Amino acid sequence: MLTNFLVAVVERILNTALVLDSTLIAKLKPVTQQRLLIDIRDWQQQFVVVFTGQNLHLYNTKETLYDCMISANIDTLMALQNPAMLTQLIRQDKLDLQGDLNIAQGYSNAFAAMDIDWPEHLSRYIGDVPAQQVWQLITQLKSQGDKTQLKLNNTITHLCQDELAVTIHPIELEQFKQHTRQLKGQVAQLEMRINQLLQSN
Amino acid sequence: MNENPEKTAHFGYKTVAETEKASMVADVFHSVATKYDVMNDLMSFGIHRLWKRQTIASSGVRKGHYVLDLAGGTGDLTAKFSQLVGDTGQVVLGDINSSMLKVGREKLHNLGLVGNIDYVQMNAEALPFPDNSFDLITIAFGLRNVTDQNKALRSMYRILKPGGRLLVLEFSKPEHELLNKAYDFYSFNLLPKMGELVANDGESYKYLAESIRMHPDQETLKTMMNDAGFEQTTYQNLTGGIVALHRGFKY
Repeated sequence: MLTNFLVAVVERILNTALVLDSTLIAKLKPVTQQRLLIDIRDWQQQFVVVFTGQNLHLYNTKETLYDCMISANIDTLMALQNPAMLTQLIRQDKLDLQGDLNIAQGYSNAFAAMDIDWPEHLSRYIGDVPAQQVWQLITQLKSQGDKTQLKLNNTITHLCQDELAVTIHPIELEQFKQHTRQLKGQVAQLEMRINQLLQSN
Repeated sequence: MNENPEKTAHFGYKTVAETEKASMVADVFHSVATKYDVMNDLMSFGIHRLWKRQTIASSGVRKGHYVLDLAGGTGDLTAKFSQLVGDTGQVVLGDINSSMLKVGREKLHNLGLVGNIDYVQMNAEALPFPDNSFDLITIAFGLRNVTDQNKALRSMYRILKPGGRLLVLEFSKPEHELLNKAYDFYSFNLLPKMGELVANDGESYKYLAESIRMHPDQETLKTMMNDAGFEQTTYQNLTGGIVALHRGFKY
């Protein structure tokens, strides 16, 4: 029932997106009444998405009726954003596609091209000027956040590289151990020799 | 010796003449029709929406299908089915109770759902449709109110198309004893009081609790469906068995 609840929440979010982006319904029109079945292998869950012309329906199901089916692990599904990977993933048996692929593309393209006019929606509650200002502030914060993240990534990369330069490689360590063992052997031999010489005198 | 023994049926914990049960159930639903949706949300804490979602997810319904939402009441399932079957499909919202149908029709019209929905007052025991008419029949929280449930199941079987399926969503027997006790306490102590406060009708909700206890458990209903002719009959317990979703196919 928890899955059912979560799926209901996601469905509500998707339908809110339909309301917020008025162009989305037109973008989804080519896939009206087409069932897209998404089988997430590592979750052992199947979800069916249907756009009915006005609303999106999303269900967690065990039904196998579909117009298009995608079966993959969740990581692979995330990697699908890059279409160049498609053939490679199918060859590696990480992805299975059945039915009319235009349906999957239709849903994917519609959501990829989603463009919600947030200031417009926000202006209904707080007015045009404050909405624009809030949106600018959010955009600036996002831009600043992206820059900070990039900087942080660069710093971590440098730190790792510097650390790499002073860190002994396992092969070097093994070589050092081998030399030490040889030296120890030689010292033992020398000690034996000295003892023999002392005894002979 | 009684020469004309009258057939009886359960009305909650009472045993009444079979001919009287339908009108007594009708009185209950005439009384609660206008508050039905509010009470459903209150009594189940909104979980009835998830039970109904599970029913739709298990329905396999698609564009062009003919669906009968039997005992459909205020049309929660019909609303979804109407969108899923599209312009080329059809949904019949059937209920024995005119008050419930009226509330359902008004609600669905207000949602803008018109065109592919028919509203028919009908008795589940004698469904007024030709053989092999529907791809899907659902009956959600309605079967326990039917006087002769075996007859109703046979009637549903008759009007299903070969390959079609029946989904019965109904209160059932909780799987765990502790849950059963808590559920009993809730049903017999709190539920009638909520009914009294919100719908001004505690008696109807007392009937609800009693009728649930008198309804066949999961395995019995499965056997009844098999006896009516359904195949591949299975059930899924929801919320610990408080509700069960039975599914059977006609081939």
